[in-house]
Amino acid sequence: MHKLFGFIKQYFALIVVFATFAWSATMIAVYRSQTTPPGAVILRLGHWQLEASVRDAIDLMAEEYRKIHPNVFLVQDAIPEGVYGQWVSTQLMGGTAPDILQVGANLPGNIWLSYYNRYFVPLSREVYRPNPYNKGTKLEDTKLRQTYKDGMRTGYVDEMQEYMSIPLSVFGVRIFYNKDLLKKLTGLDEAPRNYRDFLAACQKIESQTNEFGNFFVPIAASQYHVAMWEGNMFDPLTYGAIRRADFNRDGNVGNDELFVAFKTGRIDFDFPPYAAKFKMMREVTDHFQTGYTGLTRDEAVFLFAQQKAVFMTTGTWDARSLQQQAQGQFEVGVMDFPLPTKDDPFYGPVVEGPLFETPGTGFRFGITRTSRHPEVALDFMLFMASQKQNEELNRIIGWIPCIIDTQMDPFLEAFDPHLEGVYGAMNFILGGETTTKWEQMLSLYRVNQISYSDMVAQFSSFYLDRGLKDFLEQQRDWRRGMVQNERFLAGIRAKALAATGDEAVSAWVKYRALTKDRQVWSELNHSRQLQLMEKGPDAKAVGPYEYSPAVLAKIKERVKKSMTK
Amino acid sequence: MRKLSCRLFMVQAALIVLLGSSCKQNATLLQSDDPLHAGWNNYSLGEFDQAQFFFEQAVAEAPKDSDAQLTALYGLATTLNLRRPGEDPERAQELYRRILDTAPANDLAAWSLLALARMQHLVPVGDDPDYEQVYKAYQDVIDRYPDRLAAKEAFLYLNSILVATLKEPETRRALASLDEYVKNPSNTFLGPSWSLIAVGNTTLGNQERRFEAEVKSLETTEIDPTNPFTEFAYQYWNLATIAEFELGDFDQARLYYRKLIAEYPKDQKIYGAKQALQRMDAMEAKIREELKEAGNP
Repeated sequence: MHKLFGFIKQYFALIVVFATFAWSATMIAVYRSQTTPPGAVILRLGHWQLEASVRDAIDLMAEEYRKIHPNVFLVQDAIPEGVYGQWVSTQLMGGTAPDILQVGANLPGNIWLSYYNRYFVPLSREVYRPNPYNKGTKLEDTKLRQTYKDGMRTGYVDEMQEYMSIPLSVFGVRIFYNKDLLKKLTGLDEAPRNYRDFLAACQKIESQTNEFGNFFVPIAASQYHVAMWEGNMFDPLTYGAIRRADFNRDGNVGNDELFVAFKTGRIDFDFPPYAAKFKMMREVTDHFQTGYTGLTRDEAVFLFAQQKAVFMTTGTWDARSLQQQAQGQFEVGVMDFPLPTKDDPFYGPVVEGPLFETPGTGFRFGITRTSRHPEVALDFMLFMASQKQNEELNRIIGWIPCIIDTQMDPFLEAFDPHLEGVYGAMNFILGGETTTKWEQMLSLYRVNQISYSDMVAQFSSFYLDRGLKDFLEQQRDWRRGMVQNERFLAGIRAKALAATGDEAVSAWVKYRALTKDRQVWSELNHSRQLQLMEKGPDAKAVGPYEYSPAVLAKIKERVKKSMTK
Repeated sequence: MRKLSCRLFMVQAALIVLLGSSCKQNATLLQSDDPLHAGWNNYSLGEFDQAQFFFEQAVAEAPKDSDAQLTALYGLATTLNLRRPGEDPERAQELYRRILDTAPANDLAAWSLLALARMQHLVPVGDDPDYEQVYKAYQDVIDRYPDRLAAKEAFLYLNSILVATLKEPETRRALASLDEYVKNPSNTFLGPSWSLIAVGNTTLGNQERRFEAEVKSLETTEIDPTNPFTEFAYQYWNLATIAEFELGDFDQARLYYRKLIAEYPKDQKIYGAKQALQRMDAMEAKIREELKEAGNP
């Protein structure tokens, strides 16, 4: 007995470690044996969606899948977003990663790229085959890639020239609102679609107090939400700058083009579309809660869920959670961003339409190389990406299906993307101190610490004096990109050199296409940018989307000819 | 002493059990028995030390001057040339030259000569290439391996840097070669060659020829069917705007704006294309009105 105590005393620390390890191993084994029979195929799926509806939907998918494949069981690892990046890294590096992992966020893009390279199975071969779970539907013979609303673009990794993940949902951003509170405070049954009506509703809301005497907040916002308001509502007003400053007529205003337009006086801060953007920013952010730039996403959500605010912008990813938080208390509605009408005395001449949106897919999953059952993991993913199951999966979660010809929850109809619309054309980001100055000025303006005229006065002179220097500094290492492309193309070339038969033909086509896209134009684009920045456009030239007198004469001649025919 | 050994044994046993349990799945990834294959795998992963190790192993194991050895030498030279950090341009050049000396007729010799030319072109950040030397180096590839893909690529690079000067003499020099090159429809890189002709003609102010060349470029573009990002939306937009604003040819402009709208209904420029169609209609209506008022039929 004495000896035993002596042994325990001597090895106490080790015994504790052993005991803890044995206990946790036993618990895991018991838990697993309760949920899965011996000999079953267990798939592990890791993701960062802690919303209950996501876990429920995936569990239901697993149940449905088990009806066809009774031996396959799924275990979910739902990891909080804040630590997902670290968790994924340790799991992948330790060789203990789940079979299926959600990919594409919570780590920098270049890190994901290196992980795809090292730890994930390329899926390119599969995307050119029909999805077997679409059998009996119109998509029966359609290749997997073409069953997607976006052609499965987000699953493709350009740097690897491979499809690396399978997306499952489409996402979009709109304004959510508390229908009951809106009715109570403004008398409106539906959210205002028109910008002026929206502002009037906001004014009415903030003039009223709750039972504790606290004023209602029209719009719950935070540093997380402000970019959504800017991108969706304020930036599209600047589209008109394209007609003044898109010198190369590529349909966008680059940072170099905007600088030249400012330098040559073709645009300034009095340009109506730019003035309109900042006026709208002031008018809308005035209805945010005080100090919103210092608040986080959750703080804004609390304000909305506690019925202290009426409107809040966010994406489809929050739709079901907001509905669940509101359950039994109030009804959640979804509205598009309210735009001014064409007859609006101030905004009418500059408003051209809503923000252009493309249906982007997300909720993407890759299959890890350490998976013991990669073929089963892939098959389960194909099951969830089939027309019927994808519709069901997204119906439960409250998101938008990513497969064509699927139905979505009527609640989400306001998320239908605007396939025809406009986009922002104001880019002051020239690098270096110019960028810092712009961000400082914009931040101060957002929180109403400086007026528009003060912001313009302080930034304009700095921009015009310093812009070229910062741009040239930013461009100094432009050739570095060519070396990176060279390295990438050497790898593609090596694959082509090693390939035979049809594979070689395809590999060389890829090599030539990539060489053309990546290496031929860099020098030319750089020269053109420099020429534009240093010399500016021809002083006598008309705007990029205007007809010169010579061209106008040609047009007249053609019309005249057509009239005499 | 015995006690200490016993304790060490216990600690080791504990570590073995713990590590063993966690490393069960820790398979080594992307290993291959073929050092050449392993070399390229590691190269594409950016594991350049490993790539170098495997290529050196492949060079040592392959029979002297065999194809396998040449391939390994090429892999090693490529790694030493393009790895960052840790590049060794002198040794890379030496290896490329060794391939050229050993098997001048081999395809890898052509690629090695192109790599040597590229090394003169893609100089470190802050330096400027000696363009006269770069022109010569590309011309050397074209002259020595006229029928190889490496020479076609060299041709493209040579003319792209001439066009990129945006100066008339260099542009005319490039256009002379490019116009000759595109006469042979079996040549590779026809699409980008036509694009360079279009750019050259922009510099010279010849908008009609620019438009023709852009149309030809569109027709001869080689498509990688595996890339979901391959599309012609930008080319249609470009052709339409050249036709509208440089040529005043509204028929051609309408053709390409409509192609854009019909083939790429989810493209960002749809709004702009529809606006353009309205703008041209309005402009023609205005001119007709003016002509009628002026007494024209």
